[in-house]
Formats: sequence, structure tokens, C-alpha cells
Amino acid sequence: MAGGTSTLRQIISELRQVIPKENLKDNLMLKYIVNQYRKYQTTDEQLCKAKEEMDFMAKTYLCYLQSSKLCRKIHEEFHSKGERTVEETAKMVGFKLPHDPK
Amino acid sequence: MTSCKISALFKSLFSKTLFMSHQQKSCEFRSYGTVKRFYRKTNVLKSNGKYEISLDQRKLKTPKGNIFSVESEPLALAVAAEWDSQNDKIIRSKMHITTLCNTVLDNPNNHTKFDLANYVTNYLDTDTIIFQTNEDEELYKFQANQWDPIIEWFNERYDTTIQKSVEMLGPTVAQKDKDSINRHLMSYNFNSVYGFVYSVDTIKSVILTMACVERFINVEKAVLLSRLEEEYQLTHWGRVEWAHDLNQQDLQARLSAVVLFIHCNNQSSKIQTKNI
Repeated sequence: MAGGTSTLRQIISELRQVIPKENLKDNLMLKYIVNQYRKYQTTDEQLCKAKEEMDFMAKTYLCYLQSSKLCRKIHEEFHSKGERTVEETAKMVGFKLPHDPK
Repeated sequence: MTSCKISALFKSLFSKTLFMSHQQKSCEFRSYGTVKRFYRKTNVLKSNGKYEISLDQRKLKTPKGNIFSVESEPLALAVAAEWDSQNDKIIRSKMHITTLCNTVLDNPNNHTKFDLANYVTNYLDTDTIIFQTNEDEELYKFQANQWDPIIEWFNERYDTTIQKSVEMLGPTVAQKDKDSINRHLMSYNFNSVYGFVYSVDTIKSVILTMACVERFINVEKAVLLSRLEEEYQLTHWGRVEWAHDLNQQDLQARLSAVVLFIHCNNQSSKIQTKNI
């Protein structure tokens, strides 16, 4: 179950980053995921296949949250501001402008 | 591929505007610009056995103006979480789970399940992983090493005889194999088959899609395999964050949304039978 718990923790931390603070306490998605984990933890001997399936889906959801976040961050960093100024471009590749102090 | 679709969409929209009266126009078009977040809380409501999303006191609607409702509880929760995670602007283009649900609810192109299944089956002819290189020895080894086990798994799982090819023309997939894949797809419901279409368009491979949905490989691996040549070239030419990483994360987000979507759409019936 160790692997499962770490996935659960990661999902919670990802949701925490994107969902507004005041909505976190009674967020239904969080409750649902935790409930699912509890449900399959107690019966994992009988429902082995379902547990595996849930584990896969939890990892998939985690992947969805992480990839969406990274995608948004990269987009914000590089694509959302329009054209860069000459200074910014120079700084990106480690150059200075002619009139800048050395 | 996407640019082609966008131009087709523009064409269809444009031709509609030409032949429509003003009244029709106003109800057909909704504002698609970026909207600021106008709600505080999202919630999931149950009505008539289906789940709906509420944004404060408003109900979420699809682009065509239908009430947004899905049969699966986890799916509704995922959509609600997606809306809740919009910061100050609502960026619809990055809400893949919502997009998938909207498309099957509105079905803007009036596709039938049969059309969609056919589209997926015909994609097999141009599946990424059956085209392997004959120019670069090292890349070929890499491809054979990574892709062949997946093709083998696929042939065994669906009782098909798909062969890889190193020729320009590519292999032909037997009609018998296509039929059997088609039958398999038709056993899913409409929503799931649409999910397959979206996934095939995303990672350009039916075989990888099936392997991922059947849990033979995970999402990260499927995306990695679909961009295997890119990944190989990166080792020679270097990695650029705003192109390669962006592409990889975008594909991963899209594919994982599809896998969740297909899973949720199939799970609902299972849960119902259990409860009885």
C-alpha cells in the first residue's frame, strides 16, 4: 500500500496547489478519492483486480494534474506575453547590451 | 492536423453565417473569448440519476447551451475540480475532461458510433508504431526495442496479424483484423468510442491507445513511445523547453484525460450492477 499512499499524497498536493484555499475543506473530489482509497484498502484481498485498476486510475489522474500544471506554466513562461524586449532576449542567452555596464 | 481541423471549422461556421437569419445567429453562437472567473464555488448535483455541475447558483452548460450532465460520479467530480482550479481566467482550451464531455453531449458533427469506430479502425493503416525507419541503424534498433513488444501484445490480445514495416509504402492491415478491432470498439458505448478518436488524434496510434486503455502501459510511457523519434533526435540536437517539454506535457494531459474519461464511462454500468 506504500505506493498507493504516495500517489494519494501527490494528488492531494496537486489539488491543493490549484484549488482556492477556501474551497479545499469541502472539496468533493478530494473526499471521493480518499474514500476510494479507504474502500479498496480494507478489501484489497478480495478485490485485487479492482484495486490495481484504481491504482492505475489514481496515477492517471495524478499525471493529468501534473501535466496540466506544467503545460500551463511553460505556456505562461514562454508563450503568453507576446514578443520579448531586446534586453530580455539578450538576458536569456547570457548577453548584455552595448550600453550596459560590464 | 489541428490546423486542418480549425480551418474546416472556420469554413463550416462561415458558411452557416452567410445563410442564416440574425435571430438564428444569436442563439447559435456563444462567446468563446477568455472569461474571468465569475463563480466562487463549484458543486456536483444529482438529478434524474445523472450528475450536473453548478458554479455558485448557476448550472454549467455545454457550448450549444444544453445542460451539462454526465452519468459517472467521478467524471462529474473531475469536471468540477477542473472548473474549481481555474485561477482568475477560465481557460477552456486546457480543460480536456470538460472538452471531452462537451463534445459527446453536443456531438457537433452528428457522428454516429459507427462512424467513429470506423475512423479509429482505418487509422490502423497509418499507425505510428508500425512505421519503422530504414535509414538510421541506431534509431531502428531503438524503435524495434521499444515498439515491437507493444505490437506483439496487441496481436496477441486482439488475435490480429499486424506487421511492422520499414518500407515507404507501409504495411497493409488485413480486413479481418480491422473487422475484429471494429467489433471490439463497437462493444464500448458512444462516449468511450469518442474518447478513442480523441486519443488516436493525440498520439497518432491506435495500438498505443489500446495498450494504454487496457492498462498494459501507463500514460507517460504511451506518450514517450508516440514521440520516440523526437526523443531520439533530442539526444543529438538538444532539448528545448518551450517546444519539446510543452508538447510532451500537453500530450500527457490530453491522453490521461481520455483514459480517465473512457474508464469512468465504462465503470458506471459496473457499479450499478454491483449495487443491485
